[in-house]
Amino acid sequence: MAEVTRREFLKFTGASLAGSSLVLLGFTPETALAEVRQFKLARATETRNTCPYCSVACGVLMYGTGDRAKNAKSAIFHIEGDPDHPVNRGTLCPKGASLIDFLHSDSRLQYPEYRAPRSAEWQRISWDEAFDKIAGLMKKDRDQNFVAKTADGLTVNRWLTTGMLAASASSNETGYITHKVMRSLGVLSFDNQARV
Amino acid sequence: MQRILEPGQIEALASRSVPRLVLPARERVFAARATRLEALASRDPLGGYLTFAAALARAQHDAAAGLAPGAPEPGVQAAARAHGMPILPARGLRRGAEWRDALAAILAALGGGRFPAPVARAGLLLGAEPVALLEARAERLLAADGRDAEPAAAPFVIAALQVYWVVLASGRALGDVPLDAAAAVCPVCGMLPLASIVRSHAPYAGYRYLQCGLCASEWHRVRVECTQCGATDGISYQSIEGGPAAIRAETCERCRCYRKIFYQEHDDGVEAVADDLASMALDLLLAAAGYQRASAHPLLWQPAG
Repeated sequence: MAEVTRREFLKFTGASLAGSSLVLLGFTPETALAEVRQFKLARATETRNTCPYCSVACGVLMYGTGDRAKNAKSAIFHIEGDPDHPVNRGTLCPKGASLIDFLHSDSRLQYPEYRAPRSAEWQRISWDEAFDKIAGLMKKDRDQNFVAKTADGLTVNRWLTTGMLAASASSNETGYITHKVMRSLGVLSFDNQARV
Repeated sequence: MQRILEPGQIEALASRSVPRLVLPARERVFAARATRLEALASRDPLGGYLTFAAALARAQHDAAAGLAPGAPEPGVQAAARAHGMPILPARGLRRGAEWRDALAAILAALGGGRFPAPVARAGLLLGAEPVALLEARAERLLAADGRDAEPAAAPFVIAALQVYWVVLASGRALGDVPLDAAAAVCPVCGMLPLASIVRSHAPYAGYRYLQCGLCASEWHRVRVECTQCGATDGISYQSIEGGPAAIRAETCERCRCYRKIFYQEHDDGVEAVADDLASMALDLLLAAAGYQRASAHPLLWQPAG
């Protein structure tokens, strides 16, 4: 097949260079070949993502160094609007334009923390502990404040004392699941990408 | 690069659409290429090949100025429009004899003793070749991306074909060219792109364009996407450590191919054919790392096999 042959043909080595146009026309690649030995490859990434701030959900391009393809830790050094994104066409608002500082901020929250009542100290807890705590508090509040029927006997099944805010960068699927979970608990006050 | 938008600019920006296609200008393509090659040749580890390439581009420029090819077959163009295919297909259009005039002009311009003897020898051999053989050479170069190319003759033949197709393409109107959202081949002539350029001047700023290796048309392609297989995962930008920031290779872990990508914001004068040739060290490093070029360079043919 032509495709296979073409790929064979495009192998690019010092040896194949010996039969290339450059050499056959009388020029010398020796300097270039010697020079290459002192060079090293550096790898960078450009990653497409969605700005987390608001429900406009602007596209961003994040520039990083390092080898994401090989699961090494990459360091993002620049973020800008994605020119190809139909929503923002490469532009960002002042908050979006400062995303890189948000990302590298010393005070960025990276794990769950808990401050006990009347304590001044935050303590780091695991995600499991955090989920248990949140679920316990939600259940307690729901048991106390769930309204199954109004005073005149109308069934409403609502829970008005708890609300939820979800991320703007959620996918359609995340939005759908958020909606289903919170509505099935009776929560009416929540805001997430599902409304956009 | 960040800039603050003034009132009014946001609305203007929101209502514009992405310029999807940039057609070549016959009076600029080869002159810009020659100028860039001349600039790069001052530090040329390729033993003068960039100087030769610059002279070739100058000869192409002069040949393009004098070329007046007949109108391309209307039937081919109508069919192309009806089916959303390239309007001046390199592998379907009946070439006019004018491309051989361009070849003769190029060979004449490169004669004399300026370059190593094999240049003149290759020129003499080609110049004496019968029409049928030249046409067969052109056919092979265009048909299978040059896998049967003869490395010493191919640069001259493809240079003449470039002149012919650039002149044809520069006479088109943008609206004549059917566009596909993620075209892997040139919408004008159907050949493979040579490299990508991320432009830095309005109205093209920030967009990635693929440049055709034959007719120099540029078409928009979404960034961070493999231009060979369409993968969006596992794309990296590899460059020479400490080397020019404007020159990278967009490598794909799925198909293990790459095309170079040039960032105009880091070097305003960047030109696909010139900078691709002048950055051969990057090709050698990537080959050693197991990547393959997705398309051949028009001035750097290698033996098949």
